[in-house]
Amino acid sequence: MAGVLKTGPAGNGAPAGTGRAELVRLVLLRAGGSAAVLWGAVTATFVLLRVMPGNTADVLMARSTTASAETRAQLIADYRLDESVGAQYLAYLGKTARGDFGDSYVLRRPVTEVLATQLPHTLLLVAATLVVTVAGAVVLAVLSARAGRVARSVFAGVESLLVAVPPFWLGLVLLTLFSFTLPIFPAVGSSSLSGLVLPTLTLAAGPLALVSGVLREGMLRALHEPFVLTARTRGISETAVHVRHVLRHALLPATSLLGWIGGSLLGGAVIIEIVFSRPGVGRLLLTSVQNKDLPVVIAVVLLSALVFVVFTIIVDVITWLVDPRTREAA
Amino acid sequence: MIRAIRPGLWPAVVLLVVLAAMAAVPGLFTGADPDAADLNATFAPPGPDHWLGTDENGRDLWARIVHGARPSLLIGGGAVAVALLGGAVVGVTAAQLGGLADQALSRSLEVLLSVPWLLLVFLVVAVMGPGTFPAMVGLALVSLPGFARVVRAEVLRLRAAPFVEAARGFGWSRLQVTVRHVVPNALGPVLALATVTLGATIVAGSSLSFVGLGPQPPTAEWGAMLAASRRTLSVAWWPAAFPGVALTLAVLAITAVGQELQRRADGRHL
Amino acid sequence: MGASKAWRWGAAGAAAALALTAGCSAGGDGEGTTGAPREGGVLKLALEKEPECLDPHQTPTQSGRLLARPILDSLVYQDPKGTLHPWLAKSWAVSTDGLKYTFNLRDGVKFTDGSAFDADAVVANLDHVVDPKTKSLLAASLISAYDSAKAVDPKTVEVTLKKPDSGFLAAVATPNLGIHAPTTLKDDPAKLCSKIVGSGPFQSDGGFIQQQGITYTKNPDYAWSPEGAAHQGPARLDGIEVQIVPDDPSRSGALTSGQVDAVTALPPTSVKELRGNDAFKVHSVLYPGANHSYWPNTANGTLADVRVRKALRAGIDWKKIVQNVYFGVYEGAEGVLSKSTPGFDASVTPAYAYDPAAANALLDEAGWTARDGDGYRTKDGKRLKVRHMWSDPSVETLSVQIQAAAKEIGVEFVEENLDGGTFVDRLLKGDYEIIDTGFAAPGPDVLRVLFSKANIPTPDRGIANNMARYDNPVVEADFDAALRATDPAEQLKIYAKVQQQLTEDAAVLPIYTSTSSLTARSGVQGVAFHVDGSPNLTEIWLES
Repeated sequence: MAGVLKTGPAGNGAPAGTGRAELVRLVLLRAGGSAAVLWGAVTATFVLLRVMPGNTADVLMARSTTASAETRAQLIADYRLDESVGAQYLAYLGKTARGDFGDSYVLRRPVTEVLATQLPHTLLLVAATLVVTVAGAVVLAVLSARAGRVARSVFAGVESLLVAVPPFWLGLVLLTLFSFTLPIFPAVGSSSLSGLVLPTLTLAAGPLALVSGVLREGMLRALHEPFVLTARTRGISETAVHVRHVLRHALLPATSLLGWIGGSLLGGAVIIEIVFSRPGVGRLLLTSVQNKDLPVVIAVVLLSALVFVVFTIIVDVITWLVDPRTREAA
Repeated sequence: MIRAIRPGLWPAVVLLVVLAAMAAVPGLFTGADPDAADLNATFAPPGPDHWLGTDENGRDLWARIVHGARPSLLIGGGAVAVALLGGAVVGVTAAQLGGLADQALSRSLEVLLSVPWLLLVFLVVAVMGPGTFPAMVGLALVSLPGFARVVRAEVLRLRAAPFVEAARGFGWSRLQVTVRHVVPNALGPVLALATVTLGATIVAGSSLSFVGLGPQPPTAEWGAMLAASRRTLSVAWWPAAFPGVALTLAVLAITAVGQELQRRADGRHL
Repeated sequence: MGASKAWRWGAAGAAAALALTAGCSAGGDGEGTTGAPREGGVLKLALEKEPECLDPHQTPTQSGRLLARPILDSLVYQDPKGTLHPWLAKSWAVSTDGLKYTFNLRDGVKFTDGSAFDADAVVANLDHVVDPKTKSLLAASLISAYDSAKAVDPKTVEVTLKKPDSGFLAAVATPNLGIHAPTTLKDDPAKLCSKIVGSGPFQSDGGFIQQQGITYTKNPDYAWSPEGAAHQGPARLDGIEVQIVPDDPSRSGALTSGQVDAVTALPPTSVKELRGNDAFKVHSVLYPGANHSYWPNTANGTLADVRVRKALRAGIDWKKIVQNVYFGVYEGAEGVLSKSTPGFDASVTPAYAYDPAAANALLDEAGWTARDGDGYRTKDGKRLKVRHMWSDPSVETLSVQIQAAAKEIGVEFVEENLDGGTFVDRLLKGDYEIIDTGFAAPGPDVLRVLFSKANIPTPDRGIANNMARYDNPVVEADFDAALRATDPAEQLKIYAKVQQQLTEDAAVLPIYTSTSSLTARSGVQGVAFHVDGSPNLTEIWLES
């Protein structure tokens, strides 16, 4: 997991500079590499969707057995489906570079408009999940690091369980218990805050447990470090020691783990959105792949690759800021 | 090995052995046919005749869970095996060639990493059609970059190790050194990563079946069983409960053993 | 998920009279009410499916018709029994050659954007439907005979057809030919996919948002209800909030936990459960047309042999499986067509009885006599295998039980759950043994859509509905005779003969009759269904 840090573009020996200049350099290098990644992701998706069986026009027409030949011709002309794959690819790249994702074949609206209605729901879910993950993990880790041996193994056991439970099943169980049987949370709907509770808990359970475990291990190791001893001898309260020194020290490995989690949450969100009947990019994506709605699929791929890339850069920057040692290592 | 197992780990090890046996010889655990629909015994609750009950087709749930072990574990297991082999090849190649080739391979891996895992699998399944094998290939692509990176990093790290330097001093070629010394030594952390990844991949595989892209009916697969159970949740809870428990227990056991292996691998290295 | 469901009700809005038979507890207005209809309240509705586009001129979907109907009125109204009534047109006349329709428009009708409804608006709408830029997937083909329209004066429209079409008025009555405010038609058709403006009893300012739904508010000025409608004047509801909830358990949970007032298309398990509960009421109607059926590939593969098809028909206890899977909520099929279709021929019913002995005899006769290690029949060392392809996970339970039943007579069903692209590809190539789908349609004419040679899907022809790939000159001749027949009774007689021939050829393996349902808490009153089977949202009122 820490591999995200080690093997990035700047990982291969960028000369050590000083202070801000070096940070800017790090970000620029990363951004350059990221552009290549984004191009690769778009190209790969384009190719995969082209080799998918079934002619795009036929799939679009499958929505109706009654549409006329004129409609079919218009569809083909509008979406330039009669052009060669190469021409379509070049046209697509050109438009994408200008920020124009085109129109959805099936939804018949600009992809940007479609995404604008769906993305906020997914981002809200992912953001809430990240907040719950971080807050929950810190609280759990601080509590369990201070607990006794027995309590600690209970914590560890619960964490293993949370990591092991398949999210879609956890969602099913939570939904059955707290929406269908005891109507505490709404069974459907995404607009209200209460509607966000169960999906967030479901999506956060695994990452929370993972991060909490890593944090605790880090804290336990740090407790024996000399600087903690020094802090204690200076008469700082035990809580302050834990939060100010030990936790801070343990944050580094947890941050890189979190970066990896943040990048992969979108995949998990797809399943959660299906289980909880939530609107969002996840469900949009699933139906779009099935309908060969190429513009939507590529836009989502590009977008999530962008999220991943930005996350990676943020994590690198945080790591750089939190841990001076990595600067020298780089 | 056995001698060294911590007492706390025993349940996990036993569970793993049982699961492996179920996957290998399901007949040992049940005589019932997992696909035999009994239209007169649909939704029988857990009881003496069917001790985990029956599903909407009157099929014995225990038999289906036992027979479901193989496909359920096979997708994840197969995917990790393929990813490990593929990752090793890519990782060694990248480390071996270095320079531009290394850069290109690393960027390609990043492309794989940047696409959300489910989308990646979904695209593969869309091209190959749903089923156990496509699901396996898709998931292998998801975890391949992780293995490739670890292998590459290990190879680079070990190459600087004193005993490797020594071997080179004897006039061995870089490739010879890599194959004879570096790869065997890199195996520990890679295998540890494999067991840790295995749990997550099995969950991912069942998620895929859950959305209908894994093994096709009537194959008993835990994720697919859970998907089917949702439609009848208001009538019977047991088809929705037991496959989930089986899945959770399996992943729990694999992760526990995997973590132990990783701890040992780390211990050997530090 | 994609393809097969989209076709299922592809022609549900097709022209001509749709006679819907009331199912279990269809509630007409007034039935079971405890007092005078109450004004006010907002109906919260959870829908199982959403249209890809809200504009009914563009979308072919049933959900599109359902969501557009509260906003868009039509020139003509077709009641649930199939009778045509004046609506935005207060009267009409048809020329003797059947080529000219003259509509006299109602006075005082206003669109909710304030503009007036007049002859120019009608012309603009009809032209919009057939404009290639609209890329209509259904509406344009419903009025394929349409040539041109002109405004004779502000209150008179004259429509010219290319050829006589006795179904033209019924087509005009469908929501697919609903009348938009002409101001909205000048823009890019894409805009209509999320927001439409009409003259209907409801309006929606926010429009339709994909995967979320649509919120309607009442049009207080509405004073042009169709003649013959149960309720006249402005809607009793203040508004309707529609949420899209594709997941069955969630929709059911939303209803039982009181989060919504009504839901569409509850799965049979939930329907069965709620039937015994006084707090809820299941309203439903049977769709006319073809049953939900297995369509065997009669052209090539193992099922090209009529004996094997007959063996499947007799050797599988279809009725028991339907009872089992759908808990008696869906009715087992009893012939080529749904029982509620005009012209349904009941004389064929005995041929669809369960008779495993006959099935085994037929398979032996067809040469599938040997058995392999798994108990399946073989011929020349090859297993008797039938590939069933589907792309809609909701049929899985049904498929599994049929698969199990087929094994009893030694036939292996291979279940193939395909993505839309592969599905379409193989459908066009005829690379399958069985496809499952239903087809709602108003009358026995649907037989022509389903079994005429011209409708066999091929790469050149594109997707069409003869998925049995049935090609029989005798039946083709009957179809021609039916088209020429002017006496309706004569026409039904010919279609009865066709049903007998199709039964003789085992050209379809019918399973169950599809049902359109709306399940609501008991306080939801005035629930009725439109002629196309979709629930009528505009007459509903809330007791509390």
